Amino acid sequence: MQNILPKILTYLFVIVVYAFIYTIIRMIFLDIRTMSRKKNITKADGYLKLMNLKTDLDFDVKESYELERDNLIGRSNKCGIRIADRALSSVHCRIFKAEDTFFIEDSGSANGTLLNGESVADEVVELIDGDKISIGSMMFLFVKSE
Amino acid sequence: MKNDNYIVRPLICILAVALLGGVLISINTGAVNPDTTMLLGGMCLTLAVVYALLRFFPLGDHYIFMITSMLGVIGVIMLLRLQTGHGQKQVIWFSVGAGLFLVTSLVYRFVKHWNKLNKLYVAGGIMLFMATALFGYSSGGAKSWLRLGGFSFQPSELVKILFILTLAGVFTNEYKKPMENDHKIKTFYNTKLGRNCAATFVAYLFLLFLLLQRDWGTAVLFFAVYIAFMAVYGEDKRFLILNGVAAVFVSIIGIKFMSHIQVRIATWLRPFDDIAGKGYQITQSLFAIGEGGFTGRGIGAGSPYYIPEVHSDFIFSAICEEMGILGGLAVIMLYFVLVYRAFKISLSTNNDFNKAVAMGIGVMLGVQTFIIIGGVIKFIPLTGITLPFISYGGSSMVTTFLALGILQGISARRREIEDEI
Repeated sequence: MQNILPKILTYLFVIVVYAFIYTIIRMIFLDIRTMSRKKNITKADGYLKLMNLKTDLDFDVKESYELERDNLIGRSNKCGIRIADRALSSVHCRIFKAEDTFFIEDSGSANGTLLNGESVADEVVELIDGDKISIGSMMFLFVKSE
Repeated sequence: MKNDNYIVRPLICILAVALLGGVLISINTGAVNPDTTMLLGGMCLTLAVVYALLRFFPLGDHYIFMITSMLGVIGVIMLLRLQTGHGQKQVIWFSVGAGLFLVTSLVYRFVKHWNKLNKLYVAGGIMLFMATALFGYSSGGAKSWLRLGGFSFQPSELVKILFILTLAGVFTNEYKKPMENDHKIKTFYNTKLGRNCAATFVAYLFLLFLLLQRDWGTAVLFFAVYIAFMAVYGEDKRFLILNGVAAVFVSIIGIKFMSHIQVRIATWLRPFDDIAGKGYQITQSLFAIGEGGFTGRGIGAGSPYYIPEVHSDFIFSAICEEMGILGGLAVIMLYFVLVYRAFKISLSTNNDFNKAVAMGIGVMLGVQTFIIIGGVIKFIPLTGITLPFISYGGSSMVTTFLALGILQGISARRREIEDEI
């Protein structure tokens, strides 16, 4: 009896260490799965691709933004696409989708929105695959996925 | 909720391991040591507090600290079993390290421009090496210790972090357009070849210092980190050849002229030739691992005292003896997951400098573990470096926690950005 108890505890010790490793790996696995699931749900019809080198910009910005049905771009937290660029207005512009076509309009921004080098001003302009959108100190390429 | 289970379960596992370890020590040594109980309890309390902080505040990755705590607890159990005094100091160092881990992660996260301090890192590294060369004293064949107040520490441990930050800065800082009145060196630095040369220069400078200290284990570690950076960012085959030639050249010189290295190589190839003398340490280590079998002799029931330096470099053999090869494999797997996390953070952050730093830290941890575990199981020649978080030693514990703190800071920054967008 005296020899059995330490033996059992020794086995138990190793088992618990492995249980720990299993739990950690399982947690990581779950994390990764939810992350990839999130990506699949928002499979967008179009996205914005950053044309600038990220190292030239002194704020955090993603390489690409997927577009939903209605997107606000700006600095405030009510914008779906929020970028902390000082040259952006709090709500800078809006990109929305109507019947498979994306449109862009300026939301009264201070520095304006340029589409292929021309100001959007007060109009609502249709976006075509390959359009270049300049807002703030950034330039985005509009890509429409089929 | 099902997910809540997963939040507390790893913590419960760690507490259970600590409890089982304590009970096993008491049973197998035949005495209940109140110090052991207190120290294990204190350690569990520390890590529970840190874990709770990580959970309830958005401080980033949860896994790094969990894995580290498990490694730390296994180490402390082993040390308490070997010598209560060592275990006691280790618990204190672990707590200090965990505190520094949190502080570093916050500092790293909120102080910007870490990538613009390259000159400072190099200067700091050189100063630490110079101080070691002038005021240091030797222990275990390498003159790499510095005494400060009542503490002695290994400056090369700290330089490891500076080295990673330097290399990351050199390779990821933007290229400035050359001006007319710029110095030639500055113009050269802003080319791809210039960056490679700068990194090589810093790496070889640090390596020279380490070789002068005769700290070959750490030198190999630095070289491996440098090679990893060159492989990822260097994109130049000439440097690969150059480094290969240099490595072979230095190895040949070491094997031909340094008695220190000759002994290491001889005991690696033929440990049983001089079993009572030079091969004593490695053979005892092998006996201990063999004695342990699959599940070990039980914590406190083995006889690890035959192995010299069992509390620091050779703790892995003691773990294998008392927890078995399964316990040893579990430890290796924990390091695997830790290194995996480092690379995962490196891949998912979107700041180039942070990417490089996380990569460097991952490589450093992985290579360090490989060198020492490979050494004690006679897979590669033995070089004396510590097993991160398990070996007894304050400077190793604290600096590895600093490195992980940086990693934690990087992971928190990443989450912040994800949440905002």
